[in-house]
Amino acid sequence: MASSILQPGVPVTLQELEPSSELFRQGASLRVTGILQSYDLSSAAAVIQDGSASFKVDTQHLRDISFRTNSTYQFIGELLIKPDNDVYHSHKFISLFDLPLEDATTACFTSLQAILQARVGRNVDGLDLNLYQQSLIIRRQYEAKLRSSRA
Amino acid sequence: MGSLHLVHIKLLAADLLSLTCRHTSPPSFVRCGRTVARVEIVGVVVSRDRRDKFLRFLVDDGTGCVPCVLWLNHQYLNANRSSGASESDPTAEMALKMSEVVNLGALLRVRGRIVLYRGAIQITVRDVVLEKNPNVEVLHWLQCVSMAKECYDPRPPSA
Repeated sequence: MASSILQPGVPVTLQELEPSSELFRQGASLRVTGILQSYDLSSAAAVIQDGSASFKVDTQHLRDISFRTNSTYQFIGELLIKPDNDVYHSHKFISLFDLPLEDATTACFTSLQAILQARVGRNVDGLDLNLYQQSLIIRRQYEAKLRSSRA
Repeated sequence: MGSLHLVHIKLLAADLLSLTCRHTSPPSFVRCGRTVARVEIVGVVVSRDRRDKFLRFLVDDGTGCVPCVLWLNHQYLNANRSSGASESDPTAEMALKMSEVVNLGALLRVRGRIVLYRGAIQITVRDVVLEKNPNVEVLHWLQCVSMAKECYDPRPPSA
């Protein structure tokens, strides 16, 4: 059993999954929650949404889970960040050199594609997402207090 | 009394896994000066290993992964105790029934005794409940925070 190497899936909101976030790093174990917008049967790729943010999840390793659009799902897995080939192989990559530094940095960030490789998933219909996010803030404050008390 | 050892206290995994271990026999566990023996956690099953005599699984609540062991060896113990034909043992049946809800991705409430196994904290499971309402996990977080503040954190009066 690979128990000792499994990292906890840190709960994050989809809004937090942006390149400037400290949680946005290669291989980070995360727990994401959102409403299923689409599911591609051939690639087992699911797109979940929370408010204006959406996120792609690779569900190829999941069993015994049926996907219904507009249902809410939660996934635990590892973040895979890779260059978005569509962007890098297009004119946008080359034109970065013509951009001011700040714009070029933004363009670099937006050309990264992140996907969660899910190892666990479940339907969470009925979950109060607003309550979930509010409680997450309280829980993080408590965790920070725990860490500081041990430091 | 500075002890919490008579009740299953609600803890987040990070809190549980950082309890101070006293190397007594058997080992005891201390949080903020109080002895803790039993715990209640809520989280998602992320690993499962079924053997003949036990089921080992990991419960992930986002702050840590807690190793849990559910013993399924009651029939062996009973066979040693009585020489008669094996009768149905309610404890064994209950353990088997509980093992059936431990599946990858399931949200579980686990209660049990804190033990040390190979130097790491784990739970010897007393009971497992499958939680079907996803909001109970959120409620558990808030209860853990509230209980720590109101009950677990205040230092016990010195004797």
